[in-house]
Amino acid sequence: MFEARRRWQRVVLQIVLTLLVLPYLFPLIVMVQGSFAGQGWTNFKDVLAVPGFWRFFLNSAVIAAGVIALVYVVTMLGAYGFSKLRVRFRELYFWMLLACLTLPEVVLLTPLFITGIKVGFYNTYWAVILPLAALQVPFAVLLTRNYINGVPDQLFEAMRVDGANAVGVFRYLVIPLTRPIAAAVVIFTLIGAWNDYLMPLVFLTSQKMQTITLVPSFFTGEFNDDQTKILASAVMTAIPEVVAYLCLQRQFERGLTAGAIK
Amino acid sequence: MSSGLPWILPALVLCVGLIYYCIGDTSYISTLNWDGISPNPQHIGAQNFTSIFHDPIFWGAVRHTVIFYVVTFTAQTAIGLLFAVLLHSRVRLAVIYKVIIFIPVVLAPAIMAPVFRAMFSPTGQFDTVLQHLGLGFLAQPWLAQTTTALPVIMLITVWEWTGVTFVLYYAAISQIDSSVLEAARLDGAGNTRIIRSIIWPSVSGTTIALATLGAIGALKTFDVPYLVSGGSMGPNDATQFLGTYIYQMTITLDHVGYGAALSIILLVIAVIFGVALQISGRKRRMID
Repeated sequence: MFEARRRWQRVVLQIVLTLLVLPYLFPLIVMVQGSFAGQGWTNFKDVLAVPGFWRFFLNSAVIAAGVIALVYVVTMLGAYGFSKLRVRFRELYFWMLLACLTLPEVVLLTPLFITGIKVGFYNTYWAVILPLAALQVPFAVLLTRNYINGVPDQLFEAMRVDGANAVGVFRYLVIPLTRPIAAAVVIFTLIGAWNDYLMPLVFLTSQKMQTITLVPSFFTGEFNDDQTKILASAVMTAIPEVVAYLCLQRQFERGLTAGAIK
Repeated sequence: MSSGLPWILPALVLCVGLIYYCIGDTSYISTLNWDGISPNPQHIGAQNFTSIFHDPIFWGAVRHTVIFYVVTFTAQTAIGLLFAVLLHSRVRLAVIYKVIIFIPVVLAPAIMAPVFRAMFSPTGQFDTVLQHLGLGFLAQPWLAQTTTALPVIMLITVWEWTGVTFVLYYAAISQIDSSVLEAARLDGAGNTRIIRSIIWPSVSGTTIALATLGAIGALKTFDVPYLVSGGSMGPNDATQFLGTYIYQMTITLDHVGYGAALSIILLVIAVIFGVALQISGRKRRMID
């Protein structure tokens, strides 16, 4: 975009860009450097030696998988219904769903907290999966419905004429066609579920059930505020996220673009 | 054609069911003076709400949210757009820059919080860098002062979310017809002129989407102020937000009724915002 025909202009652009990006790199350097401070690799060994360290990853993975599966199924069915099927008061239902879009999760805190105590919701995966999925669904349905709206009705009619019922249309037309938008839905649901802090903080009080976002606070207690080990644990919990992003870079970016441009 | 109701039912049950149930329950609890456990809570009508309107911490939280939104949105827009334009220019190693800007987006704020706590502590790396730059006189206990705690929270947020702004602007700029840009160049338009007169108007849809996301994000703010301040919301509630205040009231202090009333107020603000943005979006589309 910036016109840079001459060599020195290109060098200037490159320098400006590098200076701009340095502050973004800095906290990452602090994190990695801090994790090696003092005893070097021993910090990592100590973190790994903490019994049940892998449980945090397992719990996060189970919760993320649960939220993704639930959101995916509910969204695909709902988006197809909202887009191409006849439903009485369809727009009313859709608006009821959309009204939940701007809802901050903390608003759900009080009733979930109270109900949680009553029904023994505490320290179960469901306590986190259900509210997180409920909060992701409106946006996912909005996106997917817009996407299916863009598919010409004739395609659906043609399948009907060939004798397919709604289930057949869903299975052989909707599912394959919505793959790109489904990838976007999966990615932002993954980021949302994996990185969520509030719900696990409130509902997963038993250490066996806790997720990776609770690791820093856990280690603050475990290592008596030993910064190097806390940072080592932060590095280890960050690695899977960075690797996932690097492998699926394009999907991540497309997921976000699809999310906001509609 | 068969009815689509069974298809949309799971979404409605999960979402509308759970969320509306919670909202209903919250509205009821907001009329109570209750610690969340006692079997006979006291009904006090709208008293929680009247106390909130006289609660300086609540108004502080509202003020912080507004400042936070204006500052982070402006900064992210400026930096994100600049990055997008720069990376659309002829620069080398563009992928590496992109990755560095975007990694903060995928990292959980909860995981980065201890890093930032260390960084901005009195002997932290931030002050070290200032000293190396010859700005050592600026070094101060960033998180322990009312004046600097909120700016640090905003800085962290900008660090975390510029990647999203950048990616969206980058995609939006790719859609601009390159012949328009060439024509402007031939007419002698310079770089700033092109950004102002061609790029900025072409990406206005993205800017509005980002403004919406930013507003929702500002109302949802919880993780960063809660964790970076170590659960205390900074000196004199300097980094108190609506989300952190609700948490503190409900979970830490057992003022469940008061917390519920705060939730209802937050909900009303969020819905008003949502409706206002929907309406302004519609108007814009009609003008187009």
